[in-house]
Amino acid sequence: AMAAAGSSWLVFGFSTEEAAGEPGPGLGPRRLEPGPGGIRRVWPAWSYVVVETGERAGLELRSAGRRRQLRGWREALPSETHVVLRGAAAARAWRRGAGLRSAAWSRFLPRGPAPSPLPLLPGGFALPRPPFYRALPAGLRARSLALGTEHVLLLGTGGDVHAWGGGRHGQLGHGMLESEAQPRLVEALAGVPMAAVAAGGWHSASVSEAGDLYMWGWNESGQLALPCKALAEERAQGEEAGAGEAGAGEAGAEATTFISIQALPALLDLPQEPEVSGVSCGSRHTAAVTRGGELYTWGWGKYGQLGHGDDASSDCPRRVEHLVAQGLWAEAVVCGPWTTYVCLLGCKGKLC
Amino acid sequence: MAAPVGAEAPAAGPGALWAEVRALLPGTEGEFTLALSGEVDPCVRPLLRRARGLLYGAEGPAGGEAAALRRLGHVLRDYSWEKLNAGPWQEVSKAWRQVYTYGCLFGALAEISAGCPPVSAVRLCDMGLLMGASVLDNVLGRLVRVLQQHLPRERPAGPEPLLQKARPEPRPAPAVRPEEELPRLRCPSLESFRDKHLIPQKPVVLEGIMDHWPCMRKWSVDYICQVAGCRTVPVELGSRYTDEEWSQKLMTVDDFIGQYIVNEKSMGYLAQHQLFDQIPELKEDISIPDYCCLGEGEEEHITINAWFGPEGTISPLHQDPQQNFLAQVFGRKYIRLYSPQDSENLYPHESQILHNTSQVDVENPDLVKFPNFRKAAFQSCVLMPGQVLFIPVKYWHYVRSLDVSFSVSFWWS
Repeated sequence: AMAAAGSSWLVFGFSTEEAAGEPGPGLGPRRLEPGPGGIRRVWPAWSYVVVETGERAGLELRSAGRRRQLRGWREALPSETHVVLRGAAAARAWRRGAGLRSAAWSRFLPRGPAPSPLPLLPGGFALPRPPFYRALPAGLRARSLALGTEHVLLLGTGGDVHAWGGGRHGQLGHGMLESEAQPRLVEALAGVPMAAVAAGGWHSASVSEAGDLYMWGWNESGQLALPCKALAEERAQGEEAGAGEAGAGEAGAEATTFISIQALPALLDLPQEPEVSGVSCGSRHTAAVTRGGELYTWGWGKYGQLGHGDDASSDCPRRVEHLVAQGLWAEAVVCGPWTTYVCLLGCKGKLC
Repeated sequence: MAAPVGAEAPAAGPGALWAEVRALLPGTEGEFTLALSGEVDPCVRPLLRRARGLLYGAEGPAGGEAAALRRLGHVLRDYSWEKLNAGPWQEVSKAWRQVYTYGCLFGALAEISAGCPPVSAVRLCDMGLLMGASVLDNVLGRLVRVLQQHLPRERPAGPEPLLQKARPEPRPAPAVRPEEELPRLRCPSLESFRDKHLIPQKPVVLEGIMDHWPCMRKWSVDYICQVAGCRTVPVELGSRYTDEEWSQKLMTVDDFIGQYIVNEKSMGYLAQHQLFDQIPELKEDISIPDYCCLGEGEEEHITINAWFGPEGTISPLHQDPQQNFLAQVFGRKYIRLYSPQDSENLYPHESQILHNTSQVDVENPDLVKFPNFRKAAFQSCVLMPGQVLFIPVKYWHYVRSLDVSFSVSFWWS
């Protein structure tokens, strides 16, 4: 998602300071400090983030107490072992912590029309770890591509979704737990043109052109917004310890069908507002922005990544009230593994 | 410069426990190597070093750094947990399991240094023992041993025995017809066992070989509770592992006994768990049957599992890739055995994961769906306390407990 000039970004969750073993800033939202040209795009890793600071300034790599200019580069694909950068003429990968002198991998790019976003590259896609590049079958025309821990999702130019890689947690959406070596059409979504796909650690999401949100994969922390047994038990325990109303809590839990693995895409209804414009997945959480400029989050919340000012996990979508209270319009959302970066466009309902 | 470990600790109270625990750690920060047996992401080592620094710092974690150490433990555990779940378990590198262990160690040390009751530290040690890999000469095993001596030895049910020794009328065992009954032998010689059972792969019930094991007079539900009550173990929930709703959960032995043995509100089974590696104290109460020396493997390659559960636990008909001695400590188990030559009449599941398991419900078979099952010949027995069943490799076996039961299995090759 590319932000317009004048937009600003808020960050929820695990900080780069804590990733370096230093004290963190706490559970509240943090403002992502803008560069000279604002911040147009962000690519968060676990211990650092790459930001696009404006047309001329290029990219900047930010880790705890350190900023490094990456001039001449346009896009990033970061991980904790390597960072892949893409410029006008080449894509290149470096090992983390080894400086930017000797590249671990490099590939020249043909001149041509504006390319699709990373990880897509001409003829294939990049990986932020060896072997860094994989070819895609000819005939598969990709609009975008998302990498999970063990799986890959591809959005075709016709709104078709393909999934392959590890499937033990249902993250491929083919209705089985088998792995797939080659891209395979997610048949359950065929006929519903998709506008975006997102891959988390072990879960997947897609948004249809009509603004419907579909989710599948592992629901270990409620990241699919489906009833999660572990969270229900935690809630029941909390109630038992608190008011002593264990009976009511347990009775409620008995009646629910808990989902651990959802091997086929499931349509998700957001509480107030039905239409979704964008979705992003962290390792175990999910965030979606609606066409009305609201942000919803769910799943693992231990590091504050859900943006509700606490460390609770949630198996139902919750609106981020901080933004509503401040009158802020959520334009786009990008999750890091344990973080949520939200792009804010001025103030809701007015220009400012 | 770091003070000698434990030098300034007071003699009693929580400080005394901390001194005892610190004595388990290397004397100096330099000796605390943080060695890992493989490569990990570069972001991990600074976190490990930071946590170690807090332990050996001038103030020590007791001086107010416990919260920071606890937090680092969380981060290290959560980060490595995601690596442990990336890909099949066999392919997870030992180094990531060691990082998980360090996360548990730092978390447990933070709890102790903050003066928290040892229960939470014991739980963290167990998580590391269950999912991690050994560091610092099995520091978690050594740590938990010290912590256990500081735990209040309480039983959830008070002074009475948790379980009346026997029901007024124990359930009748299924009738075993004489022609299907497994042969019984009293202490056969090694040669005789080898020639008549191991080489021809013929199952047999052995008697008299475990009578002298201390578990036979010591173990009861109460004793297990006393020795292992606060320890965290994996429990299988649901009647049988082939069921749709079957799942696994980590819980303390106390909770397991309270929820599934004393009150049987639903089925839970502490099954196929290497409890004796986790709690060496219990291992002293059992022995490895002498006949295992007839195998080719080393003694340390024998897998010893505990099977502890209420009446009615069922292991569906399945086969294992090793020879097995199933030793019955308390309670009775009804067991049926089918020869591997009958495999085609037993309808193994199609899927890769359940290929070693039959689809047939042995005691209530669907003969319309599985007509050839009636052709399969079987042997059976009610395994009594003190008896050891020899199950040859790949021999199909079905097991149902008739009482609250504890068995120990020895897998060997």
